[in-house]
Amino acid sequence: MLELRGLSKHFGGVKAVDELDITVQEGEIFGLIGPNGSGKSTTINLICGVYQETAGTVRFHEELMNGKPPHQRLRAGIARTFQNIRLFPNLTVWQNLWVAQNSPEDLATQGFLSRWFGATRQTRREIATLLELADLEHKSDELASNLAFGEQRRLEFARAAAARPKLLLLDEPAAGMNRQEIHDLSLRIRRIRDSGVTILLVEHVMELVMGVAEQIAVLNFGQKIASGTPGDVQRNKAVQEAYLGTSDSDAPSLDTGD
Amino acid sequence: MIDFVQNTVDGMMFGSSYALLAIGFTIIFGVMRRINLSFGATIMLGAYIGTWLHVHHQVSVWVVALTTLASTVLVGIYVERLCFHAIRRSAVLASMVSSFVIWMQLEEAAIHLLPERTYAFPALLAADSFEIGPFLFRAEQTSMLVLAMIMVGVLHVLLYRTRFGLALRAVSESSLAAAYMGINAAWVTLCAFALVSLMGGVAGYAILSTDAQITPFFGLWATFKGLIAMMLGGMGSLPGAILGGLLLGVVEAHALWYLGNEYKDLSAYLLLFGMLVLRPGGLMGQRILSREALAFRRV
Repeated sequence: MLELRGLSKHFGGVKAVDELDITVQEGEIFGLIGPNGSGKSTTINLICGVYQETAGTVRFHEELMNGKPPHQRLRAGIARTFQNIRLFPNLTVWQNLWVAQNSPEDLATQGFLSRWFGATRQTRREIATLLELADLEHKSDELASNLAFGEQRRLEFARAAAARPKLLLLDEPAAGMNRQEIHDLSLRIRRIRDSGVTILLVEHVMELVMGVAEQIAVLNFGQKIASGTPGDVQRNKAVQEAYLGTSDSDAPSLDTGD
Repeated sequence: MIDFVQNTVDGMMFGSSYALLAIGFTIIFGVMRRINLSFGATIMLGAYIGTWLHVHHQVSVWVVALTTLASTVLVGIYVERLCFHAIRRSAVLASMVSSFVIWMQLEEAAIHLLPERTYAFPALLAADSFEIGPFLFRAEQTSMLVLAMIMVGVLHVLLYRTRFGLALRAVSESSLAAAYMGINAAWVTLCAFALVSLMGGVAGYAILSTDAQITPFFGLWATFKGLIAMMLGGMGSLPGAILGGLLLGVVEAHALWYLGNEYKDLSAYLLLFGMLVLRPGGLMGQRILSREALAFRRV
């Protein structure tokens, strides 16, 4: 459903992403990994339309996305979460979810009252479902800025789901999480996928990626150095060198057991 | 004592129009973190177009009122496209400087439209007054206050109860995240400009009706009053803009009564000076600034 072909982004002389080819199939959880500065975040930003690509194409459901602004890509079905959470801090939890309902389905089915005032029972029920999935029912009228860190992460997830995406880009969702939270997160990711959303997961935390991703691509210096199933990738020589061949002592381990 | 109350009431009535001007500045500042210096000139040119119709085509006062509002909105959109949309990615200062340049352009356009210095401005309501107890109410000022209260009420519902308002607030908090939620930030910003221009048009019309005349300096005057009222209340705060406007009106009314006309404007500047020394964030701004800082640190 998502096809990147020869995708490149150069910042001056730096090739942040270089000739990248990636295909994500409908319904899968696709992991994108790589050391710091390997171009993972740039790739997400290219898919979402923050950056203009230097060369190459982004196709989503065969449709060329090049040049489309972020809000149109969302309406085409691409939603994302952020590495550092970007909620609307002075809106309530409920409002954060409601304001994100901009999918073509919502635009087509919501009547005037529910579109502009959120007053209908249908809207309330949909948001109640999202709140329940995120375990935030009791925080509905709380300002987003008053939530704890883990709750903010869950709200960001729910907000992305409120946009009814077909493809959800998760930018380092496990950053700052402990083991238990990572376990919860992987369950949540699977549940979203099972509801029919394709997932592209960009992550540092190997435990999460190796646990949930079905296909993985490894980036280093903006280029894809390996791809395949988690098993293939773990056995790959080039990957092991990229991660372990450096003298960097805090390079993440490829071992899922950590 | 009766004088004091009468002046306070008069001041609040006139101050309500300052409040509308201040709301115009504060909404644009809240959404874009930018100051639109040509806001006053936008209203002035809108009113000039209405006056031009009246002078050259003798249209009725209703047509003048509606033309003033419509052309203020159009000029506001013109300013947004030129000074804010086109350079939205560049420095905040660039928008401010270009809005200053556009101010000059709008003023020049008004002077070419009607080259004499002063024109009579056709008011919707005849200059009339009524008494309640010992107090005197002027009809056009009373209607100004009522109009301002209605507009603030509508604006409150719009900003806090509708999707448009929430989208506007979402854009003001994080335009990037808003874009990823499918909100067209450029469109929302344009609508915000059209909205505040409409409010500015109403305020401008009400003030000009009270004055019964219009000059090209009205743009300068409206920008000053709006900016001062906004600073008094606190930049980016809606209740602050209302309080600031009322406070400015009341202080000016008392200065006019007790000290004379030449001290009216001076009192406004002294008030602002005092506020900046004692409470740099304005009446409501201090709390907002610290709360926002806290919110952004936590998110």
